[in-house]
Amino acid sequence: MKTFLKIGKFVLLALFLFMAIAPLYWVIVTSLKGDREIYSYPIKYWPQSFNLDNYKYLFQISNFGIYFRNSIIVSLVASFGALITSTFSGYALSRFRRKRTKALFLLAMYFTQIIPTYMIMAPLFTIFAGVQQTDSLMALTMVYISVMIAFSTIMGKSFFDRIPIALEEAAMIDGCTKTQTIFKIIIPLSLPGLAAIFSFAFVNIWNELFLAVMLLNSDSKMTIPVALNSFISKAGVSWGVLSAGIVVALLPTMIVFAFAQKYIILGLTAGAVKG
Amino acid sequence: MHKENHRFLFLILIPAFILLALFIYFPIFKGILIAFQKYSFYDLSNIHFNGLDNFRAVFTDSNYRFAQIIFNTIVWVFVSLFFQFILGFILALLMRKPFKGRGIYSGLVFYPWALSGFAIGLIWAWIFNGQFGVLNDILLKMNLIESNIGFLSNPKFAMASVIVVNIWYGVPFFAIMLLAALQSVPEELMEAAKIDGAGPIKRLFSIIIPYIKPTIISTTLLRTMWIMNFPDIIYAMTNGGPSNSTNILATQMINKILKFYDYGQGSAIGVIIMFILFTYAIGYLKFTSRKEDFML
Repeated sequence: MKTFLKIGKFVLLALFLFMAIAPLYWVIVTSLKGDREIYSYPIKYWPQSFNLDNYKYLFQISNFGIYFRNSIIVSLVASFGALITSTFSGYALSRFRRKRTKALFLLAMYFTQIIPTYMIMAPLFTIFAGVQQTDSLMALTMVYISVMIAFSTIMGKSFFDRIPIALEEAAMIDGCTKTQTIFKIIIPLSLPGLAAIFSFAFVNIWNELFLAVMLLNSDSKMTIPVALNSFISKAGVSWGVLSAGIVVALLPTMIVFAFAQKYIILGLTAGAVKG
Repeated sequence: MHKENHRFLFLILIPAFILLALFIYFPIFKGILIAFQKYSFYDLSNIHFNGLDNFRAVFTDSNYRFAQIIFNTIVWVFVSLFFQFILGFILALLMRKPFKGRGIYSGLVFYPWALSGFAIGLIWAWIFNGQFGVLNDILLKMNLIESNIGFLSNPKFAMASVIVVNIWYGVPFFAIMLLAALQSVPEELMEAAKIDGAGPIKRLFSIIIPYIKPTIISTTLLRTMWIMNFPDIIYAMTNGGPSNSTNILATQMINKILKFYDYGQGSAIGVIIMFILFTYAIGYLKFTSRKEDFML
């Protein structure tokens, strides 16, 4: 009975693993096949010849290098911005003594998590149009920081809650200012939490599509999701090239996830809101 | 000293709330106003309040039946949620006890969480492809079907297909959250129950589930809202088609804005979604009566 259970468990775990990996395998295989191989029978489960033509073609027909650079810059700057802002706001929410003040601000944060993100698409467009800031990566970055602030703050608060106030009080007695205690006590003690906030924000921002579609329109400003979206309607983009684009688009988040998985899981379970 | 401290805390909150005010609160306020305005990108010189016209237009649009969209939304949300939860729970239970290579295993099995819904939609659209899709090939080889199925082009299969993808995407989230909660179940309690003769099923229902109930309640509620607000997969795979069979409120809203540039009607759908979600959340929390789990 016991070995039977063990085998059953093993089979189930293997099944989950297969289901998780198979689609990724298939998109990579497709990206390495030539067009003739993709659109022919019988379907090959292993590419006849590994060729990187789809990847070359991807960078030829579009400015994929530029989209990649745009996405990297926007994601890095915005996650870093969200991290800094929410380190302070999360700390504040963690240390407020008045229960009502605390509850009010927390509620203001939670509220943003319930509203549909695309509800702010059209208004944001009209706001930025009013100040001639449409089609601006800078504007998009600001929006991304704001979108991530609430979740990052809630996450930050839950990490800071675990640091005893006595530590700060001791530092203050030793002559530290309040700002110094944040930099010398709080931040060093919550580095895993801050890594969680950063990697979580990076993944979410890298993947964001609709706000970017709404706010960007020139080719040189596109982020990768916007570019993939434009490929769908573009003539001459085969499934091979599209697959190559998807693989390139997935790489950074997969790398971040591989290295920061521990922190991301930490962040998800600490904040427990969107994801 | 305390008063001074209070002022300091307010001060460092300011940057976050300035950004929220400018790019979240104000746009939301404006979005709600737009829902009651004639506001089309094609006719920007003619913007004015028009009462409930947008809502009327959304309800009676001849491109779709509104009742069908509501029905699709309910099916999309609850069927996805049900299987995401059940499969995620099973995966978490399987991973509860440490085994060799659990770290690497979790990295490989949880990675879909980190992908974009849009990219996932594209990957699966290719797998489901009616002509050259690998799924048709596999099913044909296993003799389960006799000829290719147009998973995404046949209205009978389209909704089931996009839901399968959404389940695939959502299982890691539940597994991660429930696995973390499962770690808090005291092992002694499990052992004691085992000695008392409680079988695995009994232990699951009388120890594990009551113990992680707060996590179950909060994750299922948050996930419901999130799935309802999640048009990415459908947008990439079918964009609501064929013949509206996968059209949900969120995709219809995206289309009103990105395709028809009718911000007024798009925002009206947004208001409807928000109204439904608020009512649902309040009802759900009243029903489960564990509000405090969220606030801390």
